[in-house]
Amino acid sequence: MSAPFFKFGMFSEEVGLIFAFAIGIGFGFFLERAGFNSAKKLTAQFYFTDLTVFKVMFTAIVTAMIGLYYLSVIGLVDLSLVYLTSTNLIPQVVGGLLLGFGFVIGGYCPGTSCVAAATGRLDAVVYLAGIIAGIFFYGEIYPLIESFTQLTPMGTLTIPEYIGLPYGLVVFLVVLMALGGFAGAEWVEKYMAARKEE
Amino acid sequence: MKDFMRTLTLNKKLALVAFVLGFIALFAGNPYGSATVKMDTSELATIVQNELDHVDVGELAGWIILGKADYRLLDLRTGKEYEEYHIPGAENVPLTEFGNAGLMKNEKIVLYSEGGIHSAQAWMLLRAQGYKGVYMLRGGLEEWKDNILFPSLASNATPQEKAEFEKAVHVSRFFGGTPRTGDAAIAEGPKMDMPKLQMPAPAGKTPTAATGKKKKEGC
Repeated sequence: MSAPFFKFGMFSEEVGLIFAFAIGIGFGFFLERAGFNSAKKLTAQFYFTDLTVFKVMFTAIVTAMIGLYYLSVIGLVDLSLVYLTSTNLIPQVVGGLLLGFGFVIGGYCPGTSCVAAATGRLDAVVYLAGIIAGIFFYGEIYPLIESFTQLTPMGTLTIPEYIGLPYGLVVFLVVLMALGGFAGAEWVEKYMAARKEE
Repeated sequence: MKDFMRTLTLNKKLALVAFVLGFIALFAGNPYGSATVKMDTSELATIVQNELDHVDVGELAGWIILGKADYRLLDLRTGKEYEEYHIPGAENVPLTEFGNAGLMKNEKIVLYSEGGIHSAQAWMLLRAQGYKGVYMLRGGLEEWKDNILFPSLASNATPQEKAEFEKAVHVSRFFGGTPRTGDAAIAEGPKMDMPKLQMPAPAGKTPTAATGKKKKEGC
């Protein structure tokens, strides 16, 4: 038996939604435990006073990467069936900047706003309403910007394929980058705390 | 060693585990599977028997004209042959390069070569590796030339054949080919100039991996 189970037809789309629901609840739970239901904590990221977001996200990335890598090396996951969003560089850079602005101004990103709304924070409920309005607005103007969203298509890329390095080496380098990032983040946090005291 | 471990915080231990796993990954190889496979020969035989493994040239020409983008067309010939002429939208992927072509197991893949042998062999290799949506172009590029680029009409053709030929002429012109009429032209064989590579733009986009229709997935 190998994964992704859905792609091998081991359960239907409906059952897939149930799994997605359970996984989503789990994801939300751990975001809440990491303190991501607080807009103050999330925006502190951008002032370098609290880099929890960076650390949690990079930990998640590294854990998922190592897990997927080893599961596929031993043949339990078929990586070629794992969905990759295709890259459209310019529209995605613009979209990323928009998301970043929204993140700093509103204090949440889409996932954390759901978590915070679930814990009863009113600012997150307003933020969520904004997201839904935004989705609606985007849907309405999509015909006008459709050509823009398809600029600079680069296909589905992975780092090892794009820069031509062996997979194992890229895994190792990303781990090193994460460990360096964690050490750096801790240092920055201490530095900012010290400067605040002065 | 034990004492050393005790001095570490939980975070440092986890970091150490990540480092060790990352380091082992350096030597653990490619996660995209190896070259050895197991295959279900009776399943493949049934597919071949029922001719579910083909796309014919007319069908493919139709897809290109309609600008369909839900398939990938692979040209298995050498780079030089590909440079000279290829079916619009085709990607050049020699047999040994499948591993690097970024093929997905759930996408529709159409293979062609000069005749049919290489594409049949490639079809077998890909099916054995678990690619489900692989098809061969029936008759390969030879048939593409005969039926799409240079369709022919014998002087003693029946009215039905003539009507068919009328359609074929439009298709041929679309792809920059030259329809042949009369016995002399047919006897010459399809030795005419191959169309230049500036192909007419299909109605939609050329099929690439970038323009799939898989909007449903992702976050």
